[in-house]
Order: sequence, then structure tokens, then C-alpha cells
Amino acid sequence: MKTIFYSIALSALVAAGSSCKKVDNYAAPDVTLKGVVTDAGTGKSVQTEQGSGTRIKLLEISWSSNPTPFYISSFQDGTYNNTKLFAGKNVISAEGPFVPLVQVDNTGKTIVDKSQTVDVKGVTTVNFSVDPFLRIDWVGDPVVNADGTITTSFKITRGTSDPNFQQDVSDLAVFVNSNKYVGNNNYDNRYTPKLSGSDASTSVGKTLSVTTIGGPLPGKREYFIRVGARISYGLNYYNYTDVKTVTVP
Amino acid sequence: MLNYNQSIQIMKKYSYIIFAVLLCWTSACKKLDTPPPSIVKDADIFSNSAGIQAYMARMYAELPIEDFRYSPTRGLNFFWIISPFSCISGEGLSRDQNSATQETFGYWGDAYTLIRDANYFAETLPKYSSNFTPAQISAWLGEARFLRAATYFALVKRYGGVPIVDKVLNYPAQSIDELKIPRSSEEKVYDFISTDLDYAYANLGESNQVGRANKYVAAGFKSRAMLYAGSIAKYNNITLTDASGNRLCGIPAAKAVTYFKAAYDAAVLLDGKYSLYKKAWAAGDKTAQYQNYVNLFFDATSPENVFVRQYHYPESVHGYDAYNVPRQLMGANGYSSEINPTLNFVEMFDGIPKNADGTIKTTTGGKYDLYTNAMDLFANAEPRLRATVILPGDVFKGVSIEIRRGIYTGSSTGGISPLLPAGSTAHYPTDHMVQSSNASQTPYTLPNGTTMNPAGLSGYFTGDGTCSVSGFSIRKNLVPDKPTSEVLENRSDQTWIELRYAEVLLNRAEAAIELNALGQNDKSYLQDAFTAINQIRDRAGANLLLSPTDLSNINVVRTERKKELGFENKTWWDLRRWRVIDKEQNSTIYRTLMPFYSANDGKYFFDARLDERNSRYTFDVRWYYEQIPQGEIQKSQNLIQNPGY
Repeated sequence: MKTIFYSIALSALVAAGSSCKKVDNYAAPDVTLKGVVTDAGTGKSVQTEQGSGTRIKLLEISWSSNPTPFYISSFQDGTYNNTKLFAGKNVISAEGPFVPLVQVDNTGKTIVDKSQTVDVKGVTTVNFSVDPFLRIDWVGDPVVNADGTITTSFKITRGTSDPNFQQDVSDLAVFVNSNKYVGNNNYDNRYTPKLSGSDASTSVGKTLSVTTIGGPLPGKREYFIRVGARISYGLNYYNYTDVKTVTVP
Repeated sequence: MLNYNQSIQIMKKYSYIIFAVLLCWTSACKKLDTPPPSIVKDADIFSNSAGIQAYMARMYAELPIEDFRYSPTRGLNFFWIISPFSCISGEGLSRDQNSATQETFGYWGDAYTLIRDANYFAETLPKYSSNFTPAQISAWLGEARFLRAATYFALVKRYGGVPIVDKVLNYPAQSIDELKIPRSSEEKVYDFISTDLDYAYANLGESNQVGRANKYVAAGFKSRAMLYAGSIAKYNNITLTDASGNRLCGIPAAKAVTYFKAAYDAAVLLDGKYSLYKKAWAAGDKTAQYQNYVNLFFDATSPENVFVRQYHYPESVHGYDAYNVPRQLMGANGYSSEINPTLNFVEMFDGIPKNADGTIKTTTGGKYDLYTNAMDLFANAEPRLRATVILPGDVFKGVSIEIRRGIYTGSSTGGISPLLPAGSTAHYPTDHMVQSSNASQTPYTLPNGTTMNPAGLSGYFTGDGTCSVSGFSIRKNLVPDKPTSEVLENRSDQTWIELRYAEVLLNRAEAAIELNALGQNDKSYLQDAFTAINQIRDRAGANLLLSPTDLSNINVVRTERKKELGFENKTWWDLRRWRVIDKEQNSTIYRTLMPFYSANDGKYFFDARLDERNSRYTFDVRWYYEQIPQGEIQKSQNLIQNPGY
């Protein structure tokens, strides 16, 4: 009896051990997808804020016709880069402070679809050319005044001629921060001047000069300045200038 | 040892025995299909009114009410509420909730369970109708519809359009694909709620058990839901449309009038059925008006209570008192002062000295105003404010609640200049200042020889947050006579008033003002709103409106609502449906009021400042529509996620 028991136990062990040949060795994701969202009018990248600004939407259609979207947040300069993707066929579009690339009318019909269907493999670059809601241009560099404040001059123009995306400018701000990540999600509200109401809605097309609030800025350091403005559309994304560094002596 | 043959013999014998047993056993089981006696069956529930009551009790217990057991990050029916809801809406500050947030628990699955329960009830009850009178049946069916509508309202205010399930779904009778019901438009969900509540109003009786709906509860909820719908139609500008043209997020602006009218009409139905609580109220008597307002939250016979959720120790409890009493009345669990009203909240009320811009006045000619007692600043405060907030030095449970930031020891000749520049978020300078880092304090000897603790018994402490961090403490809903030995977690059982008549009046007034603004003049809407708001102000002991034209600015009724319903877990939803909270909370630091004692004057002065802890609030625009839980989309791929997630 004992021998039978031992031989059964042994053969069970051998069977269990030898059956585990296959390990889960699917390769780790190593595909890179990168690119930039540029302004169709000027060719420059569309500035945004990191995390709550532009993002790239991937619909992987290799497996399913109704996939769950996957999103890649862009950097604040409008570029994006993800180096840990699986290869696959994707429908790619972008969402952010610009005329939507995919638009549906109120009956649910898709009337505009500028998304791109791309085989993502190796290192793939996908760029988008868009019409931003607003263009904000610097007029000269920000100036440190004698009283320790900073005055910034800029001009806001429409980035699109489509009247559906020409709502009034609802907010406008010269964001001030102590590091280069600056925008509506990251700013120092002691010094940041903000305009809204009619001050904002009448701002399009004019050169504006706005001075920081809260008295003199503490000296001997750098400030990072960026102008942002938004219209009342959808998630109220801000359009931005690039970031300028101002040294207060 | 047995030899081989013996073993075979024994095995054969056993085989016969086993065979015989099996034969007897199976032949004995004639009736296999009997219901297990340990499981409650439909017939047990639906054939008698006690069973119906038990079924109802469970549904009401699951009803998504944001009460004493709710917080946005922990969920509904949760006992440990130390990150209070009122501390993300600007009403209060808390040491455990230091920034803006949206709900993070994803109310979805529980909602559809409750909706299924309501549908199952409505479909099963008629099969047992012979046991009851027709009046009972129709009232209960109305009640089930009320519960379903209230649950759908909890969904639509969070997500916009959601799947409408109006009957019991069956699997596997229905295929998985059939059960992946897509979202309906936001408008359709509000219309569905409206239809259900109309049905409930038509079928429910005039009265019901406390804590259950009657027809006026249905009407009251309708006024609330329709007001939300009207606000979305008017103020929302987020759009999400599916491939069939259903607008999942947002309601066409043209519908605003319809919904505001529905809200107004529903509110009018409660006219004369309920009234504002004024049992201890006396005209011109601020003390009586204050006491009346405190009592209103504890009188079970209050004519103002429309819909309540009752608690009872020890089987159904919460911990509101333990978490929120002022520090000096802390109970044995070591919790206290989680909710501390902001100065922004306090400044909305009447009867306190104010600057031209509406902020509290604490200085004259650049020098602090001095007061003998801390409460002197609030000597004429609106009674409703005193009943909502414990002001520094006011009495609670028979003791003076001592809130003091520190003792100022500098010279007071010519007055004391502000300690910090306006708008500063810095800590106070420590020269000429004694302060305390926690509740174990070293008394300071004043010039007259007496001693005084640097900080008050309820704070402010610089080193730990177990104190009044705003200079105020919450009073509303705290039991005024609960002994400290009972100020414990899971020891409170005061009733949560989910809907009181004051809200119905405010719904009516807001809808009326919106209708007036939208050019509707089939009734004298502004006059009606004027009457409703003055009723509330009169009871509160506030200044009355002088004429209906005072209501031309929508912010008048909104501010009234924030004051009256403050700390009742309504304001955040209001700010959200008005679509103003992203402006109100944009890198915002709320204001606090810090009382100091000047040693040389022997008097108090107050410093109004930005929260010293520098807690910043920013509301993300995406939060106007919550994220549908990812797990639900994986289960039902026809669900379209809300924008931005």
C-alpha cells in the first residue's frame, strides 16, 4: 500500500512539474508614439497646460470595433511622447484648446472627422494640424517696472473663422509662477492678474498691457510668465503663449 | 496485516452496504423541488404589510441621501466622516480636507441595485393584490416610483444622461447584448424623473410613516430636480452627443422655461401643507429667534420637516457630534472640530460690521478695532448665523467656546497696525506674540498679574489641526445638550432633515426669479419670490428685502440659499449646477478670522486673513460631469465616458 501511495504522489508531482513549460513571455510594450499638435495658421505648436490641456486619444481597432479610449497627455508645449505602447492599429485624434477634430451634429451624425488611422509600431510619429480657438502673441518682452511689478503686453486674435467656435473670451490672465510649469492649473494667485466679463470679451484684436497685482514681486529671483485666455466652449480649455522668464533684480 | 484475499472479502462486504444505503436514500427523496425553508420568498414579503414595510425599509436605507454618513471621498452610508462635504464647497475648512475634490467613490452599481429593487417591487406587488386594499396598492406603487425617481436624480446630477431601466432585467432570458443599455439623454432622464414623481404625487397618500414619502415629498423632490434641470439648460455649456443624436451631457437652452415652470408649480403644491418652524420664535427678540433656529433641527414635530432620515442608537447611528464638537468639548475618541466655517460663509450674514466691499470690518483708520469680549464683534449678529456657527466666545453646552490665535504683547500706544499686509498667506510674525502649538499650553502672565493661555481652549494651535482652523466652529446639527461622555463615534442618532420647507420656498423663489429673467409674466413671479424670501429672512432674524426689485440680481436668492442651507450638504451641488464653482474655486484660498488678545489693552482684536494653512481650491471644469466608473464601461461597452476623462 505504501509503495502505491508513494508512486502515485511521485507521478503527480512529476506531472505537475513537467506541465509548466510555457511561461507568460509576451514582450513588454516598447513601441513609441510621439508627435506635436500645431497651429494650421502659423505652423507653431499649440501651447497648452499639462494634465488638463491637450491630450491624444487612441482607439485601438486591432481587436474591437468599439474599444475603450486610451489617452496620452501632451506636454505644455504641445508635443507628446509615449514610449511604452503595444503595437497595433489605432484611430488617433487630439482634444484640446482648438476646433475639435471630430465633430458630431445634434442628431449624432459625424460631420467632421480629421482623426488618423495609423499602424503604430517601432517609433511612429503622428502630428496634428489644428485651428486653435485663440492665438495669443507677445508684444515685446515683459518689463520689470520701477515699482517691482511686471507689465506684460500681448495681443489676442481668433484662430478660427468658424463662428461656432468664436464664443466670447470669458477669462484672460497673465499667469505668474516660480517654476516653468505655469498655467491655470499652476500659478501664484498673489501676483497673477485676471480679467473677465467685458474686459475679457472685448479683448480680441487689441494690444493689451497688463501689470501684475499684489504689489512688488519679491526680488532676486526668476518668474515664469505666460498669458492665457479661454472662450466658453466645452471644457473651457485655455490657449496660451509660450513661457517667458523674467528676472526681478 | 490482512492478506490479499481477506481484503477483497472486506471490500465486497462494504460495497453491498454502500449500494443498499444508496438505494434506500434515493428512493426516499420523492419531493426534490421544495423551497428551502431558510430563504425568504416573495410570498412571505408581498402577502402582508409587515413584509412590505421591511422591503421599503431596506430601500429607504439604500436611498442616496448625502447625510451624516456621507462624504465625497468615502461615499454614502459610511461611518467615518472626517473629510466633510461642506469643506469642499467653501462653507467650511477642515484639517482633513485641504483642497477641492469631486466625488471619488463612483455611485453607480448601488444605484442600479436600488432601481432594480424598486422595479421588482412594482412588478411583483400586483400579483399579491388580493391581500390589500386598492388604496394601499396604489400608495405603495407610488412610493416605489418615488424611490426610483430619487435614485435617478442622484445619478443624473452626477453623470448627466444615464441608462434608463424601467423594468426588471432578466439574465439569461435576455442576452448580454440586450442588457448593455446605452445612456439616454440628460433631458430624457430628467423627464423620466418628472413622470415618476408625478405618478408618485398622484398615488401617494397625504401622510406616511416618518422617514417615508407622502405625496408632498414627491412634489418637493420634483421642485428640486426640475430646478436642477432648468439650471443645466440655462447655464451649462458642455456637450456630448452620441451617434444617435442623444445629448448625453447638457440640455437645450430652450427647455429652461419648461423646467423652471415645473419646479415652480411643484413647489406651490406644498403651499399650506408645511410651514417654517417658528415654535420658539418671537418678533424682534434675537435670542428667541436664535433658539428657535437651533431647535428647528431637533424637533420631531416640526412642521418644516418634509422628508427626513431617522437614526436611533444603538442600531442605526452616526458620529456627527464626535467629529465636529469644538476642541474643548472633545469626546473620548479624540476627534473634534472637523468642520470650521470660513469667514467667507460668515460674511454673507447680516448684523456684523462690514466694509464697503462686504467684507468684515476689523480695523478703523489702519488700526485694529478693540473689543472687551470676543463676542462683542458679533453683538448684533443675525440669529441664524449664531445658530449655524459657533462664533468665538459664544456659548455652547453651557460653556463659552474660547477661540484665540494668540496674545499680542507689543505696545498698543496709538493703536495696533495690521500684523500682516492684506492678502498675505504668511505665518504671523513671532515678535510681540505668544502662541501655542497644541492643547498643552504654558499660561502667560498678563501685565495685571493674572495668567492666560496663549491660545483658546478650542484653538488656534500652530502645531496641530485639532482645533478651530478658521476662527469659527460649526453649530448646526450638533446636539446642544449631549453630555461629553456620549460624544463618541457611532453614538449620535439625531435625525437628518433631507428636505425642509425652507428649501421648497427657496426652490420656488429661484425658479420664479429665473422665469422672470426669461421673460415669463403669466404670474407675478418676482412678487412671489419676494414674499418667499422675506418669509425665510423674517424667521432667520435677518434684514428684510425692501421691494421685489431687490431681486433683479440672481445672486440675492443664491446667497439666501447658501445661508439657509449651509452645512446641509446642498451648497456644493448648487454651485455646480449654477456652473459657477470653477470660477469661485480657481486657486482660491478661503478667508479666516483670527481673534487676538492684546495684553497691554486687555482687549480683543480680530485679523481677517487668508487661511494660514494655505489650502488652495481649484475646481476642474471636467467635474461638472463625473467620470463614469471605468469598471462599468468594461461591463457595458455601450456606455460613453463623459468629456475629459
